[in-house]
Amino acid sequence: MTGPDRRARLRADVPIAVTAVVLAAVPLALGGSGYLMSLASTALVFAAYAIGMNVIFGSSGQLFLCLGALAGVAGYTSVLLADDRGWPLVLSIPTGVALATAIGVSFSWVAVRRNLEVIFVGIVTLAFSLVFTTLVQGLRTATGGETGRVVDAGGALLRGPITSYYLLLAVVLCYLALYHWLERSRTGWAWRALKDDPIAAELAGVDVARARILAGAIGAAMVGLAGALFAHHEAFISPTSYAFAHVDVRVLIVLAFGGIGSLLGPVVGAVALGVIDEVLRPLGQLRLAVYGALLIALFLGLQRGVVPAVTGLATTRTRRGRGLDTIRTRRDGDASTDGPEAPKH
Amino acid sequence: MAVVLDGIVFGLQLSLLAVGLTLIYGLGGVLNLAHGQLVVVAAIAGAVAISAGVAIPVAVVLAVAAAAALAWLLDATLLRPVYRLTGERRVLLSLLVTLGVAFLLDGILITTQPFTALTLSVPGPAIDLLGVRMRSGSVIASVVAITALAGVFAFLRLSRFGRAIRSVIQDEEGAALCGVDLSLTRTVVFVLSGVMAGLFAITQGLLSSVGAASGFNLTILALIVTVVGGLGRVSGALVAGVVLGIVHAVSSFYIGAFVTFVILLGVAMLTILVRPTGILGRSAR
Repeated sequence: MTGPDRRARLRADVPIAVTAVVLAAVPLALGGSGYLMSLASTALVFAAYAIGMNVIFGSSGQLFLCLGALAGVAGYTSVLLADDRGWPLVLSIPTGVALATAIGVSFSWVAVRRNLEVIFVGIVTLAFSLVFTTLVQGLRTATGGETGRVVDAGGALLRGPITSYYLLLAVVLCYLALYHWLERSRTGWAWRALKDDPIAAELAGVDVARARILAGAIGAAMVGLAGALFAHHEAFISPTSYAFAHVDVRVLIVLAFGGIGSLLGPVVGAVALGVIDEVLRPLGQLRLAVYGALLIALFLGLQRGVVPAVTGLATTRTRRGRGLDTIRTRRDGDASTDGPEAPKH
Repeated sequence: MAVVLDGIVFGLQLSLLAVGLTLIYGLGGVLNLAHGQLVVVAAIAGAVAISAGVAIPVAVVLAVAAAAALAWLLDATLLRPVYRLTGERRVLLSLLVTLGVAFLLDGILITTQPFTALTLSVPGPAIDLLGVRMRSGSVIASVVAITALAGVFAFLRLSRFGRAIRSVIQDEEGAALCGVDLSLTRTVVFVLSGVMAGLFAITQGLLSSVGAASGFNLTILALIVTVVGGLGRVSGALVAGVVLGIVHAVSSFYIGAFVTFVILLGVAMLTILVRPTGILGRSAR
């Protein structure tokens, strides 16, 4: 490994380290208040969802509108296996995650196979979201239906307000590191190529199918794990916590706020959304209207280039990510062009 | 038989919704995820007008006008920047922006008008049709729906402006080169879809009621019909509407509402996977 390469790698690892330090200090700042800690944990779960969406949508351009359903599949699978069948969490959670991953892979696979346009991927996954919610509501004996059910399996690690926060933080940091590593790997190179122009990428020798399916798999696994941990942490599971309006819409806001395709965007966005959520709590249902307005403003704003300062901060740190419109520009010395795994021209 | 007839009535209503949605998508690649909210706005405008003592025919006109006005407003403001983009980016942005509009309207309407619902009960005896007794409300609803759909088809097939619209659906750039005013056609089609959404609200009010929270579900129903009919295909939307209306009625009657919704969604997913151009579509566009 050459000198400049290692330096570039180090430079880009700094944001993750800073995030780790800042977020690790949060419990101290919150003074151990159980309520605030649970809000912080929820924000971390949304950051994790958003990193998953960043891989699926931000990196490989697949519009999955079923993040909530993927998280829910993993959550319900794990809860049903652990509570009703007595499986230990170390088995039930991975099973749930595996199921969510399989679903993500099959969507990506079908989309690639049938060469579906982005709108059709969006509609199919949205339909899947609704099928999931409807089934959970309908299968009342197993899932508790609309009202949900209490989750017994959890363990001290997932239930303690402080320990669960650090566990989720560790998960988020692992996601960030993995995302960061992927973006610099040959796979990240393929994602950028196929996002700019799938046909040109295919002609240039990028295995578009493999790149997309990999993104679907990794993203779905990230979302699934976060969803399963969330269920056991909350000690309660209901269709509402995985509903399209609850998860997907918020994740889109988080991503747009933090900058699609940026490394720290999901974390910045999730923290911002957590704060907004809490401030707006007295508004009740009117919060929906605020989310709608945010969605419009953020996406139209990004499109016009009126990027809020927050995204600017996140993007300069991570060298890219300005919304849907981004033409990915590369700076000299960018490690992913001369990294060990990148192809030589 | 009565179930099937109910299904046809509901199917015609679905066609009203889906034709509007599919026209907008066909014209400019905008998938309006706030389509159901147009219906809700019409219903609430009508219900508020009626409770304020306005005569029912006037309230009906007001309701339809409210949906049309909202559609016009959407087109004239939020969708302008969307139309500046092309291709997949436009599709994507339109999806996200109209999703935002849907939530914005939902939030406002559910908070301010939680219990308002449009119900138009028609007095009068049930009518015998094909040996089946139909409520007079159903008969009026299907007459309204058939008239509106026939009107739209005549407009698209026969009028000069309708032909211009169809030319844009076929080839946006080519039509523009031939002197078709793209922005005007979009506005007209948007208002038209608003009118049809308003008429859906009226017909639904005749049959049962429309309340503030039904917007998202209506959008999804319209989306299912649109997809099964083929995105952008007007005649497909008509046929798919009636077919799915019958499926909906029969399945709700014999199996149940939850399963019916899953079946409809499944049909839509299957259509995309097997035949993305819709039931009437050719295998390649």
